[in-house]
Amino acid sequence: MKRTVDVSIPVGPVHPCWKEPTRVKCETRGEFVLSAEVELGYMKKGIERIMQGRPWQEVMFLAERVCGICSVIHNMVFIEALEKMSSIEVPERAALLRVIVNELDRMQSHILANFSYCYTIEHETLGMYLLDSREKVLDELERITGARITCAYMVPGGVRFDLRSEDALHLRASMDMLEKEITRYTGMFEHGPLIALRSRGIGILTRDAAREACAVGPTARASGLPESDRRLHHPTYRKLGFTPISREEGDNFARIMMRFQEMLQSISLIRKCLDILPVGPIRGGGIPGAGEIAYSGEAPRGELSYFIRTDAAGRVIDIAIQTPSIMNIEACCHYMLTGVASMADVPSTFVSSDPCIACTER
Amino acid sequence: MTLLQSLKNFVRSKSIHVAYVDVGSCNGCDVEVLACLAPRYDIEQYGIFVHNNPREADVLLVIGAYTPGWEGKLEGLWEKIPDPKVAVAIGNCPISGCLFNRPHTLVDPPVSKHIPIAAQVPGCPPRPTEILSAILSVAPLVYRDYEVRK
Amino acid sequence: MKEPLYEKDLTTMKYDILVSQRHDRMVREIAADLGVPQLKVRRYIMDHFDMILMENLPARYEQGKRVQEEAPEPERYLGAYLYTHAVPLIGEDCMDEIISGVKEMIRGGTSMDQAVLSGKSRLREAIAP
Repeated sequence: MKRTVDVSIPVGPVHPCWKEPTRVKCETRGEFVLSAEVELGYMKKGIERIMQGRPWQEVMFLAERVCGICSVIHNMVFIEALEKMSSIEVPERAALLRVIVNELDRMQSHILANFSYCYTIEHETLGMYLLDSREKVLDELERITGARITCAYMVPGGVRFDLRSEDALHLRASMDMLEKEITRYTGMFEHGPLIALRSRGIGILTRDAAREACAVGPTARASGLPESDRRLHHPTYRKLGFTPISREEGDNFARIMMRFQEMLQSISLIRKCLDILPVGPIRGGGIPGAGEIAYSGEAPRGELSYFIRTDAAGRVIDIAIQTPSIMNIEACCHYMLTGVASMADVPSTFVSSDPCIACTER
Repeated sequence: MTLLQSLKNFVRSKSIHVAYVDVGSCNGCDVEVLACLAPRYDIEQYGIFVHNNPREADVLLVIGAYTPGWEGKLEGLWEKIPDPKVAVAIGNCPISGCLFNRPHTLVDPPVSKHIPIAAQVPGCPPRPTEILSAILSVAPLVYRDYEVRK
Repeated sequence: MKEPLYEKDLTTMKYDILVSQRHDRMVREIAADLGVPQLKVRRYIMDHFDMILMENLPARYEQGKRVQEEAPEPERYLGAYLYTHAVPLIGEDCMDEIISGVKEMIRGGTSMDQAVLSGKSRLREAIAP
């Protein structure tokens, strides 16, 4: 957008608080932010262009590398889209194992998001506590799938590797420990007076604005839109009796608290899965064929949609990926940042929406 | 070597400032660099301080396969880092482009075409311990007798 | 005058965003609906929108279309919500003016189709003069 403004303060692309490069240009009066715009293009790899014309076996690994933080859900949504398109059945044990791995991935992503926020508002102690807990979650992920990040655990018709009984025991023990830790950190965050000063009432996203910007995930749920959770439409989650949680405030504090609450919810979901995990096969088999589908799932950051068209040999002809960060960063920059009182709150507000630039630009 | 020089060598090897820059990866390597900060790996016990300010950095961790948005900017960033400096490539992307180096892609690997790379840590993504040991082994070599060599 | 130090020409990067499958379909639909050449719609979007809004356009467009279907008669055909809020091609004042003009024509005895057609031509003038 070519506009002439009085004062435009660029933040980024290389910024101490940001994990990935992006550039936010804030038009300010004094320190009061009047409007903000985003300059992308630092991470554009053209994954959708690479994917076109390739067999699904290759696209599967490319889909995982759309985003390294939430790689499991990209794998899951792509594979489930293929399964739905070619009506491939998944054994029940495999479906529950997928939920376990997905919830572990959601936990580590939420912990990382909250760590980034705590780091940005200079509460490093809580940030380091959270990073330590994240290592425990990643250990469990590695024990089950064999890799910390980009595990490629799901394949059409099931999962790659079974959960051994000793791993299940270890997972249960870890969940108990993590529950204790996360509850403690939630209390620290909720009652910290200095945290409240930096978080409450800053970067407010109203419910109408969230609807208009199509905000999704914890960002939308913190603004009172619980129905935005795609897990409500997933058959396995429905069987587990999943109900989304939501908050009404819509400020930075609510978004971070939302993630803390969802971590505890993930722990209870994993426990429920372990309780009802039946003995049986983990792979049903089946080969993806021709078809066209639009399929969405709930990533840690919100609704993730794949639009896929394949031919009879299982080659991907056309693909479009709509990642949650696109909507959330837009909601953040055009609604939350408007009216932020100080430049110091710009990075913290931006980080509170859990931006993932690699997802956004693909 | 003078006593002063050996003192300098010793002190500098215990104080390394690190900046990281992502030039177009899947951000899996970014989170592994962040994981180095965790109390389990505790990068600061080795005297390494991670902050993202190139103007104070000694070691630049380059992640990713060089997207068009960084055209001219990565070189500018490299110039802003004070001497002695060193760049370490983290992950497969800056080395070969990994999965992204295919027809119709926008990326332009390897990064060594654009800035000098001293060490490479392959992996997709590499483990935090590998990143840590790479920084620890490359940094002292940069500092050793810097004034003498200059 | 000196050139800004860090500003770069973003046209090619913006174009890369606009040629993805869903953006392309959206641009085609908007161009067909308003009767504007696709090139002009693309040009307008690249000149006036920032990059994250451009990335988000397909989601906003689809949500805008859903809202649009529940709108009252002349607004629905003209895309009152769609082209001001969801895909902000045109200012709210300008849209209000066009809609009140169309309503005036309907009250004056012009048929709905005729009035909407003239409203669309005014929209076209506002977006691609």
